[in-house]
Parts: sequence; structure tokens; C-alpha cells
Amino acid sequence: MDPAVPPPGRRTALSSCPAVPPPGRRTALSLCPAVLRLHRRWRCRVTEGEMAAREGGLEQDLSVKYSQVLRLLENQLGILWAGLEEMEKAQTYLEDAESLYNQYTKEIGTPPLDTHEHFLGEEERLSEQERHKRFEKVYTHTLYYLAQVYKHLDMNEKAAWYCHTTLQRQLQFTHYNPVEWAINAATLSQYYITKQLYMEGRLCLAAANVIINQAGGTSSESPAEESEEERDHRDQLQQKRAEIARCWIKYCLNLLQDSRKLLEDDVGEMDWDRQEELKIRLKKEEEEKEQGRKSAVMFGSSETFDLIQSVEEKVSCVYPVDFSKARDVFLVGQNYVQEAKEFFQLDDHVTDHIEVVQDHSALFKVLAFFEEDQERRCKMHKRRIDMLEAVYTELNPQYYLLVCRQLQFEIADTYYEMMELKVSIANRLDELDSHNIKKINHLAQSAIMYYTLFLDSLKNSEKKFPERLEADVLRPALVCKFRIGWLYSKMITSDPKLQLTNLQQSVECYRFVVDYCEMQPEAAKVMEPELELCVEMATLLPARMEKLKAKIVAFS
Amino acid sequence: MNGKEEAAGCERIVEMDVNLGQVSIRNPKGSPTELPKSFRFDAVYESSCRQSELYDETVRPLVDSVLQGFNGTVFAYGQTGTGKTYTMQGVWAEPEKRGIIPNSFEHIFTHISRSQDQQYLVRASYLEIYQEEIRDLLNKDENKKLELKEKPETGVYIKDLSSFVTKNVKEIEHVMNVGNQTRSVASTNMNEYSSRSHAIFVVTVECSELGLDGENHIRVGKLNLVDLAGSERQSKTGVQGERLKEATKINLSLSALGNVISALVDGKSTHIPYRDSKLTRLLEDSLGGNAKTIMVATIGPASCNYEESLITLRYANRTKNIKNKPRINEDPKDALLREFQEEIARLKAQLERRGMLSKKRRKSQRKIILEGEEIIDEGEETEDNIEKDMENYLKEQKETLEKEKVAIQDDHNLVAEEKQKLLEEKEKMMEDLKKEQEATEQLAAKFKVGQ
Repeated sequence: MDPAVPPPGRRTALSSCPAVPPPGRRTALSLCPAVLRLHRRWRCRVTEGEMAAREGGLEQDLSVKYSQVLRLLENQLGILWAGLEEMEKAQTYLEDAESLYNQYTKEIGTPPLDTHEHFLGEEERLSEQERHKRFEKVYTHTLYYLAQVYKHLDMNEKAAWYCHTTLQRQLQFTHYNPVEWAINAATLSQYYITKQLYMEGRLCLAAANVIINQAGGTSSESPAEESEEERDHRDQLQQKRAEIARCWIKYCLNLLQDSRKLLEDDVGEMDWDRQEELKIRLKKEEEEKEQGRKSAVMFGSSETFDLIQSVEEKVSCVYPVDFSKARDVFLVGQNYVQEAKEFFQLDDHVTDHIEVVQDHSALFKVLAFFEEDQERRCKMHKRRIDMLEAVYTELNPQYYLLVCRQLQFEIADTYYEMMELKVSIANRLDELDSHNIKKINHLAQSAIMYYTLFLDSLKNSEKKFPERLEADVLRPALVCKFRIGWLYSKMITSDPKLQLTNLQQSVECYRFVVDYCEMQPEAAKVMEPELELCVEMATLLPARMEKLKAKIVAFS
Repeated sequence: MNGKEEAAGCERIVEMDVNLGQVSIRNPKGSPTELPKSFRFDAVYESSCRQSELYDETVRPLVDSVLQGFNGTVFAYGQTGTGKTYTMQGVWAEPEKRGIIPNSFEHIFTHISRSQDQQYLVRASYLEIYQEEIRDLLNKDENKKLELKEKPETGVYIKDLSSFVTKNVKEIEHVMNVGNQTRSVASTNMNEYSSRSHAIFVVTVECSELGLDGENHIRVGKLNLVDLAGSERQSKTGVQGERLKEATKINLSLSALGNVISALVDGKSTHIPYRDSKLTRLLEDSLGGNAKTIMVATIGPASCNYEESLITLRYANRTKNIKNKPRINEDPKDALLREFQEEIARLKAQLERRGMLSKKRRKSQRKIILEGEEIIDEGEETEDNIEKDMENYLKEQKETLEKEKVAIQDDHNLVAEEKQKLLEEKEKMMEDLKKEQEATEQLAAKFKVGQ
């Protein structure tokens, strides 16, 4: 026996084992005392085990059992040695640990002794269940570390899968904080929706809804008796639920918008052929999906599984192809808007509240695409205007400049949409009477007003329009001018003098765009489709104006 | 480089080009062919620069705008020993060596003392953000955590943050000292404290002026002086590797799973349920929009500080490029473009019709109308054609006159008076031309009516 290593007693073995982490790792290791302990024990055990094996004292299969476990630990710890910046090395170690685990569970089945158990007597050892738990926990960590490594190696898809698996395991082995878990699942859903993986996204969100309900409610009966701590906790919980609601809103919005992209023609209207194609495609996929479901990573134990499924059933994960299906998704989204707004009220959470309102407006906008009746479409846009104007008037532009600009632009755009719809309706029904004309003109004026407000917001402290626009407002600003020009020329009036004034305004707008693009070539690049139209209009409109002038003279 | 650095045998690896605004840093361990990395900034200052130079050139305009009622922020970032404290604080007692902070205070109160028709009120607050918790450095109850809230009228604010009215430089200096003391107590109690907490000193300047309308107009400007965390770099991680990567640590605790997941999400069309950092939210309107921002980054020239200097330069460079989140969402409106094209086609068609016909009969038409005597039977011609011809003719005349006008103006040989006279003549001719145009229009109109 090697005199340097004492015989395996109980405590003595533990205390005299060398445990020398390399310098510099001390910080990292100090964060994880459990790992440190394991490492120390491992070091001892390996030495002992090898010696014992040499002496033939141990059963063959026990040494296999524990050496594998220990190697698993070693690999996990390998990431610390490998250097926190050598990702490929870390990846190798961890993948090794992963395959070891898989091999072990397949070939051997029963959980191995947890490392420290080797030092304990029979009675003190863990129950099989507990042992199993700890063993699995180590593996969960391995998966979690792998997720990080893959992220650093820019292998996002793999990283996401490993995150998902980590979450699943946390539930399976009931080792989690419900609020934290729910938020993580909701965040992961957002990854899935950017990849158009709506089934997986829905699964994560539904699970989030179910798990957060496991978080304890207040213990005291009435709000008055609540302690400050309990109130804080309740507020926190409310906030987290509202955050999950916002993730749901994005789910519904993206599902509708992605569907629209597949269905629209080159002028943004429903393409009936594409609709047919999509219907057929979806039917085919439905059959495949049923099978795919089984291989997807499901969440939870048997109790939670049913609960999750019942939440999933409330909303589709399939692209809506027509108005009725779109409306179903819309309504789910709208419900979550209301839920989110309950917590994110304007008065304390301005930015969050406005983002929720903007999402609500976007829901209406995309629903309008699916709506065939123009009058009903108009009503949807009216709802948008009402909600956007309501928040806009509350904001102080000095502190919310950028948000105000967003709102101005969107409100103007919406008025424009409404105007176009009204014109189309009136023409179709042959009802271009004075009442409708007034309405149309009013809508055009409102759009012009908001586009102008946007342009005014770009002026400097001396109220002058900047010579050179910043890159992120360049195109929006020029587009404003372009649209204002168009709107002026669309105003309906029988008074030629007024018509002339309108045309004059129109020409000036187009000229502004042309002149600016001439001076700043990068603007020309950004305004490509619109610029040549402006150039044409700037030369054609004056001729039209001359004609009008003559008319005026004739009738005067 | 200082004595210690020279003694240690470090070499100078940083070069500054003040004119270009460029800083270059050379890797001391790199191969001879490895190019130095350059960073461009709005202004760079050498160690030989005076405090007042820096202040007057870079900071003074920002404080001026605060006095006008706008917000301004000065960020300071840098390792100890690189002169960050000297730049920001300097030596208060010696006027020549005062840093940005005492100079700003001096600037503000001097301006106030010189003002005649305005009333000023200056308040000071001092807070810090540590591990996403906000603490009031001027409050004896150090453990109270403050909430960040927003009001639509006034923007982001910190609830229950104490502020003190200060009437002169001494008073505001005192406030700052009190806060600094609170901060240093905390740093002795906790390791790496000052390297992880951001400190923000806020000077609010309220100006009230009696306007022409007899009403009191109030404008409020805020000056944020931010000492950024992370300036004290931890002892090197022991990695002797040449590549310097930030934040690639594997987090051992499962509680960081959320960070890993949110790093996977592309923020554009999604909601990530983790709050924006408190620092960003608090200074949001400084990082974009109308407010002015200055980032002061200090680095050491010696080779032994290569890694830290590089980090500082990169950090400062990133800050320059911060784009604020709210972007204008533009709906392309292809339908509009199509309508536009149709309208243009329509207008063009109209013009061509007129254009074609007018070419043929131009000469004779013109003659007739000018003489005003005969009216020929035009047949297919419409009144548009006459007008179009007239237009073209007048246009040509106008153009010629314009050209002559320009020629006159450009002609340097002409004496001023002569020039003026000639220009007046040209003006008169333009007038006549105009009258002619009106006359022809009337004629054309009469003609129309007659038809």
C-alpha cells in the first residue's frame, strides 16, 4: 500500500485527500462548492479504486459502475480545466459525458452509487430513488453546460434543443422554481416562433401557463393583512404572468403575420390561388405532424401533461388560411392583451404599456388583411386609430421622442388606409356624394397632419429641418413627404383654386424628395422605387397645374 | 507611461492622432506583421492635454444645452490608474487641475450668477445601481431599494430618490462627498464592489423665466454624470491565451438558464421577459433621441495594460454605435406605388396628345396669337394646344432671360451699378413677358367661350 494514501476509513479519507485546483480556477470553483466536494472525493476514489482493483478486492462490476460515474463527473469538471474559452475542447468532454450517460443507462439501468456513498455503510446509503435523482441531476447539468457551449459555438438550433431538454428534465425530476421555470419556457417559446416552429412554441407557452400556477399564492386572507413581503411577492407574480401574456401576444401576432406573408399577392391583398395551395399543404402536414408530436420533447409528469394539453387546445399552431381561423387566433391574442394591460398600466409602465398597445394595433392590422368586407376593414382601422391616439396624446415628446415618432407614423399610415378604403367603397357603390367626399378629405387631412407631425419632430431646437437626416429616419422622412404629396393630389374638391393649392403642395413635396436625393446620394439608394416616381410627378404636375390656371382665368 | 511601468520594462503601445481623432493600439505579443487596431472617436486627448482643453472643447457645449433645458449625460469608463478619476474629478483645490465634474459645477453656477431675468433652482441626487438594484447614496437607510418608474408626462424617474437643493459650488460639492463616502463604505464591505456598481450623479437645473405673454415659463435640464462599472478589471483569469473573448464563461448555476435562452432569441418580433438593464432604462433618452451624450474612456499607454486598454476601446466604440430600440415600422404599400405609376401614365398620355399636335402648328399659331388679329379655324386643335404652344414659347423666353440674368450676375467685369441696371432691365422684360402670358390666356379663354 502506498504510504502516502491512507486506507479508506470514513472521515479520514476525505480530509486528507489532496485537492488542488489549478490557480485561477479558484474563483470559478468557489462558486460551486458541491462540485468542489465531488472533485475532491473523486480524486481520492480513483486512486483507491485503482488500488483496490489491483488487489482484486472489489467486484468487477462495481468498479465499472463507479468508474463510469466518476468519468461522467470528470468530464463535467473537464470544462473547468479545459479553459473557459476553449469551447471545442469543452464540447468534446461534455459530449463524452453525455454519451457515457446514455450508454450507462441503456446497459446498466440501476443508478450507480453516488460518489460519497462509497464511504458510507449500508444503512447510511441513499434510497435508490434518491440516488437516481442525484445521478440524473448531474446529467441535467451536463445538458445545460452543453447548451451554453453550443450557443458560444453559434450552433443555436442545438443550443435551443438542449435548453428545452434541460427544462423538461427540471420538471421531470421536480427540481425547479415555478416562476423561474415558467419565464424560461416562455422565453424559449420566442425562439421557436422566430423559426416558425409554432407547435413547439405553443407547447412552451402552455407549459408556462400551467407551471406558474404552481407558485404559491398569498397565505393571508385579506389584502389588508398582507405583509410587505407578501405584497411584493404577489406583485412579482402578477408581473411575471403579464410577461408571459406578452409572449403569447407575440405568438398570435407572428402566427398571423407569417400566414399573411404566405398568402398575399404583390399588392398586399389575399391571393386566392395561394390560399388554395396553403390549404392543401397544411392538410398534408397535419398528418405528418401527428406523428412528429410524439418525437417532440414533451413536458411534464402525467398530471401536468393534461393541463398543458388543455391550454394548447385553446389556440391553433397552424397557419390560419381564412378569416374565421384568423379571427380565432386574433381573439386569443386580444385576451392576452387585456391581461397584459392589467399589470402594465400607462401610469407606471409607460414603455411597456405602449408596446402592448402597438401589438394590439398590429393584431387588428393583420386581421384586416383576412377580412374581405371593406366596411368592416375600415372599422378595424378605426379601432387602431382610437387606441393609438389615446396613448399618443398622453406622452410628453421631450421624454418619449422616439416612441412618439413611431406612433405618429403608424397613425398617419392608418388614416391613409382608411381613406383609400372609403374611396374604394364609394366608387364601387357609386356613392361619391358630398357627405362621403367630406369624410374622405377629412381622413386625408388627418393623415397629412400626422405625417407632418412626424416631420416636425425631426426639426432641431431652432425649428429648422435638418440639412442632413440621420440614417434611421432618412427613409421614413422621405416617405412621409412622398405620401403627403400623394394625399394632397387625392383630395377631392370642385373648387379649382383649392385644387391648384393642393397640387402646388403636392409638387413641393415631390420636389423636396428629388432635391434631397440629388444632394445626398445615399438617400437616392434608400428611396429607389419612390424616387423616380417623384421625378416624373415633379415634371408632369406643373403641366396639369397650368391647365387648371387657365380654367380659373376662364371662369373668373 | 509612469515610472512603475517604465521600471517594469513595458513599452508604449498606444498612439494618438489628435487631428484624425484616432487611437491605435499595438499588440505587444503579436507578430511583427500584425497591424495595430485603430479606433476613431469624436475627440481624443493626449496625456499632455490640459483639463480645461478637454472641458471647453467637449463638455462645455453639453452643459450649455443642459442650461437650455435639455438632458445631457457624461459617461466615464476606464481602469484605475488610467486617469479616469483625474479626468472626472481632478484636483478640486487647484483650478488648473479641476476635472469635468468641478468644472461643470463651476460652469453652471457662474452662468446662474450672471443671469438677470431668470430664476434658477439646482438640485442634486446621487444613486447607484448594483446588481440591478437601485440605491440612494444620499439616504442614511442604505438598504432601501428604489423602484424605477415611468410617467407619461415626465418620463423615467426613480421613486423616492432624495434630492437636495444646492445654491453654490461648495454645497453641491458637499452632496457629492456625502454620496462618495456611502459608496466607499460599501466597497470595503464587499469585494469587487466598485467594479460592479454604476454610480450616477444627477444635477437638475430648473429655469423659470417670465415670458412675453406674462406667463412663467419653466424649462428643466438634467445633467447625468455616470461612473460606469466594469472599469476595474478583475485580475486576469489566468488564461494565457492570446485571443481575448468576453463573456464566454460557462455559468455553473442553473439559475442562469434564462440568460442562455434569451441569448438565443432575436429581439425584433418577440418579447423577452427580462427587464432592460436599469442603467439603460434610466438613461434611455440619453442614448438616442435629442439628448447629448459624451463618453470619456481612459486608457493607459503601457504594454502591460494591453488587454484592459483594448477592452476599454472596444467598449467605448460600441457605445458610439448604440442605436435606440424604437424604429419606425414602415409598411411598404406596394398598392400605392402601383396607383402612382398608373397616375403618371395617365398624365403622360394627356401631355403627349397635346404635345404632338402643337409641334406641327407651332409657328403659325404663335404668330397669329401675338398679332391678336386673326383667328384661324383650328379644326382638330383644342385650346390645350394653343396654351401648350404659348407655354413652350414663353418658357423658352423665360429660360433665355434667366440665363442672361445669371450671366450678368456672374460677370465680374461689370461695375455694381451697371449690373443693377441691367438686372432691372431684365426684370422688366420678365414682367412684360408675364403680362403677355396673361393676355394670351385671356384670349384663349375668350376663344374657348366663343367656341
